[in-house]
Amino acid sequence: MIALRFAWRSLVRQPARALLGVLGVAAVGALLFDMLMLSDGLVVSMRDMLERTGFDIRITASGDLRRAGDRMHDTDATLAALRRLPQLGTVLAIRFVEAETDGPAGPMAMTLEGVQGDARPWTVLAGRDPAGDGEVVVSRALADALRLEPGGALTVRARCAASNQVLPPARLRVVGIAEFPFELVGDPTAGAAMPTLDAACASRTDEADIILASALGEVDATAAAVRAAQPRLNVATNEQVLGRLQRNGFTYFRQISAVLSAVTVGFALLLITVLLTVSVNQRLGEIAALRALGFSRRRVVADVLCESILIVGLGGLVSLPLGAALARGLDGILKTMPGIPGQMNFFVLEPATLGLHAGLLALTALAAALYPMQVVARLPIAATLRAEVLS
Amino acid sequence: MRLAVLAILAILAGLPAAAVAQTSELPTVLVSRQAAEALGLSIGAVVQVAPPDGSRARDFRVAGIYEPTPDPSRLGNAIHAVRLHLPDLLALTTPPDAPKGAESVDAINVRLTPGTDALAFSRDVNARLPGLSARPTTDAGAAAGPFRVLERFHLAIAIVTILASTVFLIALTVMLVDERRETVGVLRLIGLPTSRVLAQVLLEGVLVASVGSAFGLALAVVSEGVINRFFQWRYDTALLFVQVTPSVAVTCVLIAIPLGVSATVVASWLLLRRNALRLARR
Repeated sequence: MIALRFAWRSLVRQPARALLGVLGVAAVGALLFDMLMLSDGLVVSMRDMLERTGFDIRITASGDLRRAGDRMHDTDATLAALRRLPQLGTVLAIRFVEAETDGPAGPMAMTLEGVQGDARPWTVLAGRDPAGDGEVVVSRALADALRLEPGGALTVRARCAASNQVLPPARLRVVGIAEFPFELVGDPTAGAAMPTLDAACASRTDEADIILASALGEVDATAAAVRAAQPRLNVATNEQVLGRLQRNGFTYFRQISAVLSAVTVGFALLLITVLLTVSVNQRLGEIAALRALGFSRRRVVADVLCESILIVGLGGLVSLPLGAALARGLDGILKTMPGIPGQMNFFVLEPATLGLHAGLLALTALAAALYPMQVVARLPIAATLRAEVLS
Repeated sequence: MRLAVLAILAILAGLPAAAVAQTSELPTVLVSRQAAEALGLSIGAVVQVAPPDGSRARDFRVAGIYEPTPDPSRLGNAIHAVRLHLPDLLALTTPPDAPKGAESVDAINVRLTPGTDALAFSRDVNARLPGLSARPTTDAGAAAGPFRVLERFHLAIAIVTILASTVFLIALTVMLVDERRETVGVLRLIGLPTSRVLAQVLLEGVLVASVGSAFGLALAVVSEGVINRFFQWRYDTALLFVQVTPSVAVTCVLIAIPLGVSATVVASWLLLRRNALRLARR
């Protein structure tokens, strides 16, 4: 405690130098904090989104993510077969169709989502769920872009069979504004019952991109039962979807976060070591005098360590709000990436992240103090004092 | 027009390795390196290729193994693909009962003669052939979208790193200059004007910053190879992840040297403003 107070006085004696050291650690610590949040942020955010939808099992034709793979055929029969499984609760089939509408600055691309089943994959924020033919709910992004309100009209031209196909316009009635958890950035969505989508496509195809199901019991066992009942379809639990994304889709951010975390810690280590070493070298005479007055070797070494802890500790504390603000800015940049659900966050704070951040900074403080501590511990008292007097 | 088209292979998995009969009359295919490695294929091997439904499988001889063009949008996915001559692919994929002329292709790549305006050519094609969409290859903005975002992200990280480095640099220069306080004091006392001492410090700053920049660039060039090799191994791709281009090197030097020199001069100026006697501790 006394060593800590002594180290504090050493820092306060040269406030500009101490402040710069703390600010430097704060900036580096903020970057480290962000990289740690980025490391698992996408997975945590995706898990949260998957769990919020209330479905445990995702059934597709090819195991690919939305729109990337083949469509399932015979949706009516598949849904009926799935409903017969006692392990399943709600079952919902969804088909996504690219469409365009007239935006304020010309044609605007959007997605029309048709659903068939026991639940809805969206949450109504205003108005009500579509009940009849020609009724849709629109996302907040679409409502804002077209200034739509419940009761308004939405004209869409769907591309149902191919991306270059444009069907005659279909006029739909907006009955609500809803939150679509997986709405992509730059791709506003409208949702309707499957017959409405079929009408917009001018044909009934009995196809679906994905079937979502909730399990009444243990999820893995339920998924196995679905696999047994539908061997030609790809069945994945939320955990399996996350695992696949962790292996492929999100690895880049994990790798970049690992590389930048290592670089950041190395950078902080190098610079704090240099700061402390130069600081100690400037005070060698003073330290030798303290030793001559009776300060033990352990005590002066503890002073250097405490000085490192104070610089890194204060910098680390400042780095938390700084890192949070920086994460908001970086998240804003990354969220403009096309094909990313708008509600997904790249930087997510978890208790473990705070612990890891504190642990890494503590290790940095300790490692950075090692060399200057060694200098102080091996200081020849008489020779240093003599050199000090002669200079 | 390129006669070979890329076909995503749906049936390579599970092929019998025994289907290796050296038959020179067979039509030929190129197999991607990843597919060849996964299936243990070599040049001259015979493979069966079929549409996704498994019907109408035909034997082909592997004429070569190619490295797929690095595609950032397919990062993390092993590219298991074969390249067939277009007539062979059409024969495989067109249903037998399809009327003549029903064959379709996804895209036609056109190489223009040197000096031809690609934009004007694409406009001309769009006007003459309604229903087709022609675009210059430089207009691949949509595909590059995610990488533009990543570029902005990396730029933001670089700015934060520069800010942190600047703070540390100023702290270090303040300490280093302070260490030379007595020397500077003596120089002032023997008659050197402040501007002369400052000029000396400036030259030192330029020298140190230049050497530091050169060292940093050398480190970047060395780490470039290490990082690329690691990520190429990790993602099984020939994509370049880090590239120290001349413009990147020049940008780094243009930031590093003025920053280093400014930090040295600012720290020295703060010291030189003090009284010479105080500096010399006399």
